[in-house]
Amino acid sequence: MSVSLKANDNKPEPIAYSEAALRNNAIVVEYCRTSMSALSGSTAGVLGLTSLNGFAFYMFAVIILWVMFMIKAGPNWPKYYVSRQSILTNGFFGGLFTYVLFWTFIYGMVHVY
Amino acid sequence: MVELLLDPKIRLWVFLPIVVITFLVGIVRHYVSIILSSQKKIELIQVQDSQVMIRARLLRENGKYLPRQSFAMRRHWFNNEETGYFKVQKRPSNAQNPMTDPGMMTDMLKGNVTNVLPMIVIGGWINWMFSGFLTTKVPFPLTLRFKPMLQRGVELAYLDASWVSSASWYFLNVFGLRTIYALVLGENNAADQSKVMQEQMSGAAMAMPPDPKAAFKAEWEALEITEHRWALVTAEADLLLQNNVS
Repeated sequence: MSVSLKANDNKPEPIAYSEAALRNNAIVVEYCRTSMSALSGSTAGVLGLTSLNGFAFYMFAVIILWVMFMIKAGPNWPKYYVSRQSILTNGFFGGLFTYVLFWTFIYGMVHVY
Repeated sequence: MVELLLDPKIRLWVFLPIVVITFLVGIVRHYVSIILSSQKKIELIQVQDSQVMIRARLLRENGKYLPRQSFAMRRHWFNNEETGYFKVQKRPSNAQNPMTDPGMMTDMLKGNVTNVLPMIVIGGWINWMFSGFLTTKVPFPLTLRFKPMLQRGVELAYLDASWVSSASWYFLNVFGLRTIYALVLGENNAADQSKVMQEQMSGAAMAMPPDPKAAFKAEWEALEITEHRWALVTAEADLLLQNNVS
């Protein structure tokens, strides 16, 4: 009965988000992303990845982080984020810069000399 | 391309110190700017203005949950031609020259002391102390266009573009450690040098205080054209329907 009622109800349920909570979530995601970039950059440097392998490793790390967010949030992710895609794409290039810095740094420390 | 052989002492005495110096200078800048920063004095009338603006905006956005009469009453308090708040309040336009305000001058000076001075001093010192070293190699191939960017201070025409000189390594660190500062010191820290550079480039280091008169007029117009549409017209019907279902 209730299912049919919902089907009849054409208007989508309006969802109210708390602005402060959204901002806090974004900051936490940004922290995780920075840590992930630094750690994966160091890993790539220690492993001695060069050119395209290194960038592929960054893509891999970004996707792993996204999957971890999704597992953590579970099936009720709309409670925490407005959209899933934005977590994957936001701050991609800022993280890439940190990644390249750490990659270069550790690669120089380990493999150049 | 022949591989170059670098002395491991360069790693210990040039490559690593530049990273550590850049990072620690950023931390010191953060705390020095905290010491020097003066608490901004807030005038009572500014707080009042901003609170009134917030109230008007809330009324515009959420007025649909009020009965029509209540909404009209509140709007009347803001917008009435003779006694409305937006009509009665006359604020002087405070678009004054910041140079005449001594407090703002001190703020600007402090900003320069904490931001520009260390950048010149540390950058110059690094250039002088560690000049002329090749420090590292980026682990990906780059085109020749990157040579002046990455090999500042080392002019060798036939060197592969992916080698990085010491001065350029310093600048890479300045720009790349920004997110690490956000991680270590929290958001809105003062350690970020690249932000200062951007501000200097755009030439707008100081935001003008908003003019309350223009803001009041805009809010008055927005409130005037707001149409009241009560969102709870069907509340009783919805309630009865729910009771029927369960």
